[in-house]
Amino acid sequence: MSDGLAELLHDAAVLYGFVDFLEEYCREQERSQTYVDASGLFFRYVKDLAAGIKEELGREISRATRFPARLPVLQRNILTLKYYLQLLHEHIKPAADAHTLTIPAPLIDLASQQLRRVEGMSASKIVILLTPEFMYFQRPHTYVKEQARLVQAIIPQAAFPAKLGFIALPYSQGPSFFTNLAIYHEIGHFVYEELSKSDPPYRGVAALRSVTNRSLRRVFRDRQVVAFVSKIVESWTQEIFCDLFAIRLVGPAFSFALVEILGMLGFLSTKDLTKFNLTHPASALRFAEHVSLLEEDSWLKAIEQFEPEQKKLLERLAKIPRAKYRFYVDDQALGPQSLVSTFLASVVPAIRKLVREITTEPTRAVKRFEQDRQSIEDCLRVGVVPHTKTSRPPDPVSIINAAFCFYLTSLPKVIGQFEEPEAKNDLRIHSLWAKRLEMWTMKAIEDSQVQDRFRKLKGTALWSFLEKKS
Amino acid sequence: MVLSRKEILRRMREFEVSDEQSLVITPILGDESDIFDADSVDLRLGTHFLLPKTLDQPFFSPDRSSAASLHVHVHVPLGQFLVVPAHQTILGATLEFIKLPSDVSGQVLTKSSVARTFIVVETAPWIHPQYRGCLTLEIANVSNTPVLLYPGRLICQLLLMRIAPPQDPTGRQNPNGKGLEAEEKPDKNYFGPVYPEAPKFNDPQEDLFRIGVTRVSHLKRTREYPTRKGWREIKPGA
Repeated sequence: MSDGLAELLHDAAVLYGFVDFLEEYCREQERSQTYVDASGLFFRYVKDLAAGIKEELGREISRATRFPARLPVLQRNILTLKYYLQLLHEHIKPAADAHTLTIPAPLIDLASQQLRRVEGMSASKIVILLTPEFMYFQRPHTYVKEQARLVQAIIPQAAFPAKLGFIALPYSQGPSFFTNLAIYHEIGHFVYEELSKSDPPYRGVAALRSVTNRSLRRVFRDRQVVAFVSKIVESWTQEIFCDLFAIRLVGPAFSFALVEILGMLGFLSTKDLTKFNLTHPASALRFAEHVSLLEEDSWLKAIEQFEPEQKKLLERLAKIPRAKYRFYVDDQALGPQSLVSTFLASVVPAIRKLVREITTEPTRAVKRFEQDRQSIEDCLRVGVVPHTKTSRPPDPVSIINAAFCFYLTSLPKVIGQFEEPEAKNDLRIHSLWAKRLEMWTMKAIEDSQVQDRFRKLKGTALWSFLEKKS
Repeated sequence: MVLSRKEILRRMREFEVSDEQSLVITPILGDESDIFDADSVDLRLGTHFLLPKTLDQPFFSPDRSSAASLHVHVHVPLGQFLVVPAHQTILGATLEFIKLPSDVSGQVLTKSSVARTFIVVETAPWIHPQYRGCLTLEIANVSNTPVLLYPGRLICQLLLMRIAPPQDPTGRQNPNGKGLEAEEKPDKNYFGPVYPEAPKFNDPQEDLFRIGVTRVSHLKRTREYPTRKGWREIKPGA
């Protein structure tokens, strides 16, 4: 046996062992846990890929023995596979950790359904990952998809699922509900990436980019500078886009969730509020945009009777004059302020336009919220899962917003009603009741989806046929 | 007196949820005629279960720290099934969330068709007035073969009984409006669950102290190491 062939055989055997483990790992996870649809799809892909790789490795060894001249090609293929498997490896364990007992599955299902109603995203699916980092983020998937395409040339039977996104939640927040509304922002990143990387790019995104480039070229003459600042503005653009996108899908509850998370991360200190950095626009601007959109969509009017601290904070931040915004390239050094003013004057309006273009008007959601709010609160006040007396269940977006407002303003009253007076300041009890409230909210969303499915099926011809038959 | 279908529906429909007399059963899936009998309501199996776990010790002690270690939580979505092995008992929950009125007790019985498959639901079937939550069901397969359970299918029936003498619904608020009297508050230990819940215990010494017992034996697992003077216990953290 030649040295080259021996080396190839060794490499192939190591790779075989690696994919064999990944295949069995995915199978074992699915045997012992339940996953949302997208994770199942992802695991199936990994299993198909692993099976395909194992077959292909066998074939390659036999080819190499017969045609030694092909050795370099086969070695290159093995290298491509190895590199791609390393990429996938980073996704598999966090996806396996995110089974339905460790994530807010009803919320993920709801968000996925809403995502599929966004223009251009009809077949999208979201795989949830649990991360050790204390932050929510979307894992950019375009690069994985590009690599998957290269691998598909070698293993044709394993096609990477189209429009599959990856969103990571901090594992500690997995089963909670309210803070996890932050995933809507991350879904925004997925949508933005999908729309901007589609071929040809989605027209709204192309228009936004063209506005950005035009306005930056007017301010910065040097091409290299324009290229550099474009990247910064692109990051700011995505953050504002994702916030507004989230609000269009889930209303003010997203803003409250963001306040909670940024507060928990310590990002709401006064000195940082007006600071733009290389990756994020100032929090004050983000919240000002929230308030402005919530006002335009009539959400603010719908929640005017609620006065939680979070809402007051939002409104306070929104009032900070834009002249106070500063761009820092690092902790100390100021960047060109003209970049901020250009972004505010030209880019932000274009972002608003794009968000409006791809999402549906929330008029119906706001109206449903106004109709359902009282009954949802009445239920939560007496420790009951929100429901209605009619066959029409409360709208999930209404449930989320009413429950979040209730959580922020009325939780102590519920505790006072059912617990002893001294329990009022007991943190353990406060946290226990907050968890209960989250459970009831999630159950209400789950029930609402089940009822909705039943209601839709009931009127169909298939239903009548099966009724008659039974 | 067992509540009739008409009375059950009246209490579900005519009272506000905050009313002491209101009855909540949600969600109602399927046709009412399939679910409400003349004197009972059929309930569906929920999607979460607690399965018995093989313990890492030779006994189970019902105390504060071990109660939760008895089970493994699993989720079986609608459309999938759970296999209950022969002669095994698991904990499930109803899909429906219940709130009982203050003057009504409930009893859960196995649905007769289910019972005929040698599945027995509930050995502690009583539900107190004001209870709210999905009902935790002890589901025993007493047959010699494994049986499949499908979440979403009807599994048990709930009978509702008016308690005598009825509580006066108007007398339940404190005059100062601060809420329910302490003795009338719902059980806080099992308040509002939406999944089957593991049992909650005090430590045995706490319960026995309340009846004057001050010396209580423990079964304790220890690890020991040999010394010249014989075997010594390894202290935690050593």
